[in-house]
Amino acid sequence: MVTGRAMAELGWSAEAGGAVYRSRDPVRNLRVRVRIQRVTHASLLLPQLQQPPGQPGPELIGLATLRPPPAASGYRPDDEEEEAVIGWQEKFFSQFEVDLYQHDSACQTPLDRQYHQEILKLEKSGGRKNHRIFTYTDHDRFTNLEEHCQKVTTSVQEVPSYLAERMANLRRRRQDRRPMEGNVPKSRVITWEPSEEFIKNSHVINTPVQTMYIMGDLGPYGKLGHREYEHVLCTIKVDSNGVITVKPDFTGTKGAYRIEVDGEKRELWKYTLENASAQVQPEEEGQEQRMFRDLYSRHKEYLNGLVGSDFEMTLPGALRLFVNGEIVSAQGYEYNHLYVHFFLELPSCWSSPAFQQLSGVTQTCATKSLGEDNVAFFSYPFTLEMFFTQEDESEGSLPQWPVIYFEVLSLDYWQRYRVEGYGSIVLPATPGVHTLTAPTWRPIELGTVSELRRFFIGGSPELEDMTYVRVPGTFKGERLSRFGFRTETTGSVTFRLHCLQQSKAFLDSSAMRKRMQSVLDRLSGFSQQSSLLNVLGEAFSLVSPTRRANCSVCSLHKERRRSRPSPEDSSAFLHLLFLPLCLTLPSDRVSLEMAETLRGRLEFLSG
Amino acid sequence: MAEVHIIGQIVGASGFPRNSLFCKWGIHTGGAWKLLSGLREGQTQVDHPQLDDVAYWSHPIDVHFATKGLQGWPKLHVQVWHQDSFGRSELYGYGFCHLPSSPGWHMLTCTTWQPLGSWQERLSQLFVGGGPQLLQSDLIYTGADRYRLQTIAAGTVHLELAVLLRHFARYGVEC
Repeated sequence: MVTGRAMAELGWSAEAGGAVYRSRDPVRNLRVRVRIQRVTHASLLLPQLQQPPGQPGPELIGLATLRPPPAASGYRPDDEEEEAVIGWQEKFFSQFEVDLYQHDSACQTPLDRQYHQEILKLEKSGGRKNHRIFTYTDHDRFTNLEEHCQKVTTSVQEVPSYLAERMANLRRRRQDRRPMEGNVPKSRVITWEPSEEFIKNSHVINTPVQTMYIMGDLGPYGKLGHREYEHVLCTIKVDSNGVITVKPDFTGTKGAYRIEVDGEKRELWKYTLENASAQVQPEEEGQEQRMFRDLYSRHKEYLNGLVGSDFEMTLPGALRLFVNGEIVSAQGYEYNHLYVHFFLELPSCWSSPAFQQLSGVTQTCATKSLGEDNVAFFSYPFTLEMFFTQEDESEGSLPQWPVIYFEVLSLDYWQRYRVEGYGSIVLPATPGVHTLTAPTWRPIELGTVSELRRFFIGGSPELEDMTYVRVPGTFKGERLSRFGFRTETTGSVTFRLHCLQQSKAFLDSSAMRKRMQSVLDRLSGFSQQSSLLNVLGEAFSLVSPTRRANCSVCSLHKERRRSRPSPEDSSAFLHLLFLPLCLTLPSDRVSLEMAETLRGRLEFLSG
Repeated sequence: MAEVHIIGQIVGASGFPRNSLFCKWGIHTGGAWKLLSGLREGQTQVDHPQLDDVAYWSHPIDVHFATKGLQGWPKLHVQVWHQDSFGRSELYGYGFCHLPSSPGWHMLTCTTWQPLGSWQERLSQLFVGGGPQLLQSDLIYTGADRYRLQTIAAGTVHLELAVLLRHFARYGVEC
């Protein structure tokens, strides 16, 4: 039996997988140029492949003496090389087919008869041009057989699996036989009695593919037309979505493929595949691109017409914090029928639009047991919008962030209220989703009387000011003491917050996003720098009151350098003093401590 | 104009007293938002779980919004219904969740509640099913009038949503 094997050049292993191309253009424009060439007798090049090794022939000696291949044995210059440009589904007849279809008696199908006519026509016009290279198109019997009997392992007893048979039965290459059951009417979502055809079509993948094989007749000279010498040079598959699979891939820079024929002569063949499709003209391509651009711009206009191109923006220097919040649940409380009352506290520098509701009350929810806890599900939405405006830029203190204070109350059958817990959460300073579970406590009084009262008639000690949960708003001292205040741990409340931040400063600082970690850095980076400039400005005004440092540090230095100050001028010393600092400090991260040290040096100098 | 794509699914529901559940869902947005493509509301099939009490719907959500502002960020509201063996449907829970505002893949649990009737209603609910329902469904996704309601905790609905945002950075929005 004759076996062949496609071998790749060393260091190239992609030949098995083939390559996948995508094209929006019609596939009939696809052209492949195949060039096939006999190298030499394979036994000369690869003696180690000759099995068994115990038969050293004259060829081996030839290799050992590095003799060039003998020109006498079967060497035919006209036979050595062949090239063909093959179009998509273009039929090139092999010698075997020519011999077969010449006689009308061998023709059975309409396709056979068509081939018969074509071959007769070819004979009249002076014979076929190709000798070794030929093709099998999608309609040929070979394509069917090849798909059905294709082996995937070396096992001798391999039989096609059930699925493979089903796939072959499906004849999935036929594009015109797409199942019509795909678009069922909406009233019938389910087929209760699926037909045989429906099952066939829907139980296996069903992408219609057209196949084409480029073959080589690698028989010895004068012995063309034997099926056992036929080898697949290239398989091309195209599906209806414009995906072209070429296996093996076009030989670009990778060098030619080799096929070694294990015949009596063990010949080695080399072949290359090239994409010879006509290239798109530049003007055509430009026109196509223009068309697409036009289409996209029209779509954009359409969208703009629907929505409008503007977007609400914040004032410069302001940060807008937008929170889509939800009170998810409350768990672990003593009594049933819970509700949550919450409000938002805005610290100084923060404001909110007039329509913004800053407090809310949930519904009363009876609990259910989930695990060890009794949970109440509120699923209560709230939206908070607030603005942060840093008024005093020189102030170095951290801005405070808004806080949600909340209390959990229970309301029983007799309409008695009980405080179940107090808690607070600080709104997250980073954008994104945050699920926060805040533990709560409630104040208690010593002794059982108060608890008895709570149990029988409801009511218990309450906070007069809910901000006592954190630092109370009225607090002015240095240390907050809660000594003497007794609480009891109760359950917890779960919030889910989707935070968004908007500021014009984010537009400028997007480039340095990686370096800057928190929003505060990004918002106040420039303000700290400006505070340093203020300090420097004061310093220079000490030295030369006529010059005010109202620009950045470095440009100041340039200016000073241009004015060429005398060495006695103290500003020159300053210049020398500052230059290394300005070089080493990242301009946006000049910290306040640095400003302080600078001020110290300046005072030292001026003093 | 900024754009938001939400692609995901309503995975299922758990923690309800009986299975064979289905879910009606909708997405509510503010006035500045426009639906460019996709379905704004829908209803799942009825799922009868075989083993545990989790009903799986795997109902697809694929919507594309364009917006002029952040206000009125889309909210997904769900109603979980139970269909019994007689074909009757009864309400099992209302719930909502904000669609995530940060890009990426999110697995969300949406807790639900059910309006609580008087004890007579609860008694009849125990035997013949049914129960009070909301007159206006906008109470599911607004908080203003919630204090009038008496509810009881119901199960949870599980969601998997992938969020894609476009052009928000152009307007200085950090998500």
